[in-house]
Amino acid sequence: MSRNLKLFIMVLPTIILLVIFTYIPIGQEIQIAFENYNLYNLSNIYFNGFDNFIDIFTSVDFNFAQIVLNTVIWVVVSLVFQFTLGFGLALLLKKPFKGRGIYSGLVFYPWAVSGFAIGLVWAWIFNGQFGLINGILMRLGIINQGIGFLSDPHFALASVIVVNIWYGIPFFAIMLLAALQSVPEELYEAAKIDGAGRFRRLVNVTIPYIRPTIASTILLRTMWILNFPDIIYAMTNGGPANSTNTLANYMIIKMYSFYNYGQAAAIGFIIMSILMIYAIIYLSIFSRLERGII
Amino acid sequence: MKKVGLLVLTLVLAIGIVSLGETITLNFMQVLTSPQRTAWWEQVIRDFEALNPNIKINLISPPYEQADNKLTTMLMGKQPLDIIEVRDYTIKQLVDNGWLTNLTPYIATWSASKTLIPLAWQAAKTVNNTPYMIPQSFFVKALFVRTDILAKYGINPNDLKTWQDVLDACQKLYNPSKNQYGWDNRGRNSPFIFPDTLATSFVENANPDNLYILPNGQTIFTSPQYKAGWEMYIKLFKTSPQDSINWGFDSQVNSFVSGVTPILMQDPDTVGLLNTMLDKDQYTVVPLPVGPTGKAYPNYGFNGLGIVSYSQHKEAAWKFIAYVSSPEVNAWFNKNYGPLPISSVTYENDPYFSTGVYSAWAYMMKHPEKYIFSNYPFNSPKWPGWPSIQQADMQSLLLGNISLDAVLAKWNNYWSSK
Amino acid sequence: MKKLKIFLRSLLKFMALGGYLIFALIPLYWVLITSFKGPKELYTFPITFWPKSLDIENYKFLFSFANFGIYFRNSLLVSLGASFGALIVSVLSGYGLSRIGSKKLSNGLLLAMYLTQMIPGFLLMLPLFLMLSKFGMINNLFVLGIIYIDMVIAFGTIMSKGFFDRIPVSLEEAALIDGCGTLEVLYRIVLPVSLPAIMAIFSFFFVNIWNELFLAVMFLSSNDKMTIPAALNSFISKAGISWGVMSAGLVVALLPTIIVFAFAQKYIIAGLTEGAVKE
Repeated sequence: MSRNLKLFIMVLPTIILLVIFTYIPIGQEIQIAFENYNLYNLSNIYFNGFDNFIDIFTSVDFNFAQIVLNTVIWVVVSLVFQFTLGFGLALLLKKPFKGRGIYSGLVFYPWAVSGFAIGLVWAWIFNGQFGLINGILMRLGIINQGIGFLSDPHFALASVIVVNIWYGIPFFAIMLLAALQSVPEELYEAAKIDGAGRFRRLVNVTIPYIRPTIASTILLRTMWILNFPDIIYAMTNGGPANSTNTLANYMIIKMYSFYNYGQAAAIGFIIMSILMIYAIIYLSIFSRLERGII
Repeated sequence: MKKVGLLVLTLVLAIGIVSLGETITLNFMQVLTSPQRTAWWEQVIRDFEALNPNIKINLISPPYEQADNKLTTMLMGKQPLDIIEVRDYTIKQLVDNGWLTNLTPYIATWSASKTLIPLAWQAAKTVNNTPYMIPQSFFVKALFVRTDILAKYGINPNDLKTWQDVLDACQKLYNPSKNQYGWDNRGRNSPFIFPDTLATSFVENANPDNLYILPNGQTIFTSPQYKAGWEMYIKLFKTSPQDSINWGFDSQVNSFVSGVTPILMQDPDTVGLLNTMLDKDQYTVVPLPVGPTGKAYPNYGFNGLGIVSYSQHKEAAWKFIAYVSSPEVNAWFNKNYGPLPISSVTYENDPYFSTGVYSAWAYMMKHPEKYIFSNYPFNSPKWPGWPSIQQADMQSLLLGNISLDAVLAKWNNYWSSK
Repeated sequence: MKKLKIFLRSLLKFMALGGYLIFALIPLYWVLITSFKGPKELYTFPITFWPKSLDIENYKFLFSFANFGIYFRNSLLVSLGASFGALIVSVLSGYGLSRIGSKKLSNGLLLAMYLTQMIPGFLLMLPLFLMLSKFGMINNLFVLGIIYIDMVIAFGTIMSKGFFDRIPVSLEEAALIDGCGTLEVLYRIVLPVSLPAIMAIFSFFFVNIWNELFLAVMFLSSNDKMTIPAALNSFISKAGISWGVMSAGLVVALLPTIIVFAFAQKYIIAGLTEGAVKE
């Protein structure tokens, strides 16, 4: 048996598992997106073309434009802060110091908790009556009445984003720290000799060298933030008044409250299309950067 | 001859012993799961198994939040299930998908069926006027008040007879600088029941079979009396903390227990819960307030048990349901859990359900001219999404983002269109 | 002057590190103190920042009434089993993709892996359930483990391929010429060098599988098969969340992940160096 064949056989288990447990179900789901598939009456399933999509785009009860806007804000703001704060933490941890091991174990643990559970805990912390944050603010005398962090549309989206940032910092910190540690010291030496200060060294040496890591982590992270509604589902389930509803959460509402799997699948299809387009654009920009065209 | 006779006898005995030894295992799924409720079900099951040694019951208790969904997927996948807990919200869906058995033949031979209260029959026959389930518990709204807090402001709970009285009391209590509010608002998870209970009591000729469609065919959202009711509800909301726009059942209870909002409209299962957190002299329950019409149109929530259509052990399943629905077991279960029982025997003979805080509901049951038990259009194809839609609109309304006229027009449009 | 600059820089660094730590620990602190509060203290106003008396009632309830010991065992079995299974599968396919001759095939399959990350997981649950119920594979911890393996192997393959790409082929060439089989080369030469990477991938798998909730609730029915996230979720009833017991449960649930994580994070830092940099 040729080596190449052997190597291919090694990949086979993954392919088989993915086909059976992921690709076939998703194929079925894509079909469902074009059907009237409602758990209230399963004997009444029929092909309905683009009806599901039209209903979603024109729904007066859940304004699609607002949901898309919420999703964009949710992803972009979370990503920007997760990345910058994660990068900052990685830079701080780059040089060894006493107790760095224990410290990093503590500061990275948010990565180890379940998104849904932590959403519930933070919802409790943000609680308008008995929450920790209101308790502290009132003790300090800053306010004398609890702020409805999750019940006031002005605060709700910001509050869930804060939690998402908390949750995502360790991911970037760990990935970027690993990448930082791979930068060869000689490059820094050369830059120092050239008279470059700390900031210049960061911009001209570090960032370009770890650019591939930055690129791949951001791509993956964007996909995960878009696809994981756990935090919003646990904290507000899209409310109040649709102000924290994102595409992924909307999909869950269609599944669990409306029992309308056809429309839920349609929303899933929209999400996948968005990510596909995003990945294509992203990778083409990135490859141009690499080849120095931009 | 004797030998043949002996052989036949032995054969019959053998078959008899074999079938006696055959154990039937039933799969029973509850949906209103909580650790305490599971413990009560397990007790009932233990007692039943002791009386019926060849039946074993396997209790399946999915977490409350995912329970309805899990039930649906299991039925879709034809997973082995025999008895299931059916809710008022889910009965239509279960019947339409052909998952419930028509219980008429079983009820015909069930002696205790004669003692079921009329409301129980109404509930059992919700869909197609056919009994697809036997109800176990009833949930009817009444008014819970903190007697200790109301006493400080000189308010007597027995004076809260109309919604106007309630509004006056709430406004008297409202003192945000002291963190004292009045009305315990419901913000999410089917909040429609709260303003609708108030607003429908303003309507002179509401339709008890379908609260959203008036006898003249128009929706209730076109009624100026209904609108007046809503205007009062908005005033009530103003005596509630702003945060309450997001409150579910648990937040309502917490707020009541902490004293922040000492007036709460809720179901009888709240009693059991409150008794673990408050002393009996700290709160009481009074009958649901009536509107300017002198009437109220409370809806009745219910849950019950049904037999799965593809069950292989329907006789045994019915045995269990009959046992659980008997006056004694039903009374025991509801005493622990809190809601109202189903048998007239219990109401007549058991003082528990007519004294203390339960006298409020006893009063309501005894005055059908004032309290007309009504239905929301659960069976309408427009119902499934309605609670979520109404919730989002109601939140917008109470936040001041949309006017009352606009939202009433929107709801009118929803319920009149095809 | 230089000493002042260095001092200020250290001070700022210290404050920044402290800030990050406090932010990270807020929920953990809150959950810990709540787990030691009695039922009446949970909803007092104003809130208490430290339990009035250390009450272990919640923990007792957890292990007696709530059978938490069984769920712990189930979670441990499924998480360890599925993590090891996924590790073997990911390492094999990552290595395969890394060394296979055709670049086109390799990139094509890699793209297929990336595609799976674009799929919202919730959408898969219903078709998966219906498919498996036809074969009677519901309420089965082993089958759940297989589903979990499928859940993580795409990412695992992407990561491990990245690691193996960094290891020069020259290392293996000598052994290959000597007549070593493909698997032997992987096992004898490549794996020992990439042990940190293996630890990293394993702990990632473990954490994600340990915490998985929705698949567990959907695919498990019997009480004695429940995993910890499903059990925690049953503390949410119509009456809301029993925060006392829930907090105790969260603390107990957090322990294994923190242990696995703390142990592996040294390797993670070193390990990811190899894999993440080059793509």
